[in-house]
Amino acid sequence: MFRTSHLLLKLVLSALVVVGLFMVYLDARITATFSEKMWELSARVYARPLELFTGAALTAEELAYELEVLGYRAVSTPRQPGEVSRNNNRFDLYARGFNFPGEQEPAHRVQIEFVGARIKGVSADGKDIDLMRLDPVLVGGIYPRHGGEDRLLVRLADTPEMFRAGLVAVEDRRFYQHWGFSISDIARAAFDNLRSGKVVSGGSTITQQLVKNYYLTSERTLVRKLTEVLMAVLLELHYDKEQILESYINEVYLGQDGPRAVHGFALAAQHYFDKPLDQLDLYQQALLIGMIKGPSLYNPDRNPQRALERRNVVLGVMAEQDVITPEQAAAARAKPLGLNNKRRIRDSFPAFLDLVRRQLGRDYREEDLTTKGLSIFTSFDPLLQRQLEISTAAVMDQLDRSGKLQSASIITRFDTGEVAALVGGRKARFAGFNRALDARRPAGSLLKPAIYLAALERPREFSLATVLSDTPLTIKAAGAKPWQPQNYDHKSHGDVLLYQALAQSYNLASARLGMQLGVDTVIDMLARLGVAEGVPRLPALLLGAGEYTPMDMATMYQTIAAGGFRMPLRSIRDIVDVNGEPMKRYPLEYERTVSLQSMHLLHFALRAVVREGTGQGVYRYLPQDFAVAGKTGTTNDGRDSWFAGFSGDLLAVSWIGRDDNGVTGLTGGSGALKVWAHFMSRSSRQPLAYRMPDGIETRWIDDHSGYLTGEGCPNSRMLPFSVGSEPRQRTDCAPRNEGSGVKDWFESLFGSKG
Amino acid sequence: MVLLHRGSVLGLVLLLAACATQAPEPSLPAPVVKPSAPEKIETPRARVPQQSPPRPATPSASAAWQPLLAKAEQATQRGDYEQALALLERAQRIDPDSAEVYLGMAQTHRARGDAMQARATAERGLLYCATDALCNALRAYAR
Repeated sequence: MFRTSHLLLKLVLSALVVVGLFMVYLDARITATFSEKMWELSARVYARPLELFTGAALTAEELAYELEVLGYRAVSTPRQPGEVSRNNNRFDLYARGFNFPGEQEPAHRVQIEFVGARIKGVSADGKDIDLMRLDPVLVGGIYPRHGGEDRLLVRLADTPEMFRAGLVAVEDRRFYQHWGFSISDIARAAFDNLRSGKVVSGGSTITQQLVKNYYLTSERTLVRKLTEVLMAVLLELHYDKEQILESYINEVYLGQDGPRAVHGFALAAQHYFDKPLDQLDLYQQALLIGMIKGPSLYNPDRNPQRALERRNVVLGVMAEQDVITPEQAAAARAKPLGLNNKRRIRDSFPAFLDLVRRQLGRDYREEDLTTKGLSIFTSFDPLLQRQLEISTAAVMDQLDRSGKLQSASIITRFDTGEVAALVGGRKARFAGFNRALDARRPAGSLLKPAIYLAALERPREFSLATVLSDTPLTIKAAGAKPWQPQNYDHKSHGDVLLYQALAQSYNLASARLGMQLGVDTVIDMLARLGVAEGVPRLPALLLGAGEYTPMDMATMYQTIAAGGFRMPLRSIRDIVDVNGEPMKRYPLEYERTVSLQSMHLLHFALRAVVREGTGQGVYRYLPQDFAVAGKTGTTNDGRDSWFAGFSGDLLAVSWIGRDDNGVTGLTGGSGALKVWAHFMSRSSRQPLAYRMPDGIETRWIDDHSGYLTGEGCPNSRMLPFSVGSEPRQRTDCAPRNEGSGVKDWFESLFGSKG
Repeated sequence: MVLLHRGSVLGLVLLLAACATQAPEPSLPAPVVKPSAPEKIETPRARVPQQSPPRPATPSASAAWQPLLAKAEQATQRGDYEQALALLERAQRIDPDSAEVYLGMAQTHRARGDAMQARATAERGLLYCATDALCNALRAYAR
């Protein structure tokens, strides 16, 4: 007897020690992790915000699209943020406002009116507004590669009071009284379980649910349940109710979005309603509260009827607990689910996100991007992206029904060097091989401007009117077989003027000019334009040999379009940390690497490409008076079709080819040019302006001989020259005052003064 | 032409105001960001001499970016060059052809001691200047 009781005592004591040690262990686990529990917050990537002001080049349809992807709701009278009413060219808009880095845009109601393709006025309460911007479209997130939890953090104080009361009323009505668990609830759950013979009911308090989500697996055993209760008590000992409720609101799982798990009410509010939590109506709050019980069972997208019933149950409980009045409950019950519209664009631009990720990769560790909750503000333009996708699809479907041809394009705003849109393949919405960044191809004649620029930099030797010889040549190099370039038409064209050789993309004249300057000179020029990698030190480089991505070509033509100022192509403007503090800005930086004058002369030749050379096809899409400049590129047997060029506001580079490097049967002019021109004709709002820098003057030239001649003389045309570089020889034709009467595209630039 | 445009905008505004009094007011007062703008009428473009090139048919965006320039200047004065440049870049995106914005950028780069950026920015701005005063101001930084 004594022995058994002694044994029992020993057993009890050791059990107590074990339980005690276990509690110490649990306590340590809680205190070590809970207070500084690191929420893993993916980085959020935002598009550029749309700027609204009188005179802005924007159509009513474009604003409507932007608002649609932003999830603004069409109503008859906007009464709260996120609502809009449209009457043809008039928008009555309750803008949501947004905390931009360094500047806050408040939520406010504004009226916007359009005339033609411009904003006629922006006003609020009858007063003109100089400038405002919409909230930026959330383009996507940077998640851990294996998918995972996503959430937006919210502070308890920033959650609506009614919502908190409703949450407690439904999930844990004795939350503010209990010590982490509720005996009556556990008893009721145990009774239910006994009666049914299996575990059906949890009887968990909010604290227990939090502990379970944080620390425990979802298996249902007695030991686990006891651990949960113990930890809940410990949690309550260490932290107050507010801290626990705040963690719960941010932790709770509320549904799945593809590979992304939606956690916390703040993200759920955005996910289901496109609204911040504090802007939800009662009926929307009730839906989210109801979803805790079964995020997939009550998923409003998949099971709308069940979700609606569950929501109404929640409203009933809220009324019963005096959180809301019966009238409020009745009014909310009469509402529909009120979900956001489904035209979502988030995470549907993998190619652009890829670019952002890579640019971030230079400054941030992958882990920081997927866990630190950074906000990344980019230059992505959803309107230009939409048009680029439409243009790519339209042209590619017309060129190639088989689907073997691929295409990639990059759009920049060359004044600021910002990448605005990007297509990495024909299926633009699907992640995969990003040809815009990763397809390494020969560039064909797209490199030629580097040769001509290097020549035009020597005004004592070369001008646009210098006579070049487009005749066969053979270049021998030690240890290599001789290089014998050919023209596309397999003809030679004899004496041609320098600008004509570029406009017509004559290979023989270009190769001769390049050899005269030296391959190294051309390589140096390419580097100054921003292309340093994949450039072989071979004569064949002059006609585009090497490996270049569409992005490389965008970098090169960016420098050209910007007038000789090299700037890094940027996709990111600002990065803001989880508390809204600016972390990093990617500033605009200019570096002038080519003189204004030689670049100006090159622009003339690139304008000639589209007016009288290989790029004339652009004017099957663009209006005749819309000035642009560009260059075609075709590689051997038409394996690659390129076009690069710019208007007054946009630079675009397009490429068409096959992934297996097979023959496309296309030239730059019959392929990529069409994507380029289709896009430009619909998106560019500004023709290329003519701005003559200091040190340039115009002269009349005989277009055949390259001699100076008089206005109105045979073959006369006007060309720009660096001062002092004009031809010395002159025809014997005297200027005729009446002129020819017909102005070419260049003379027309000078208007009536001509 | 400009006056006509202003007039029609004014008419529209009055019309909107009339409508707005009939429509129920939104529950929240709509706070409007009103940057401390200088007098609106006296924009630098208004000082353009008469022999300057004809005004483009499209309405000028200067009313939109003038307040940003004023804010940028304030930021520069308190030594917050980052903020000043961010504001100027926003202004430039709104109106990429404004030489005044380039001038503001060049001044800010100079103020924070980056003479190279100041020069490159001013040089680029020279492509866009339309008045002697503006061109000369830019040339001073481009040297």
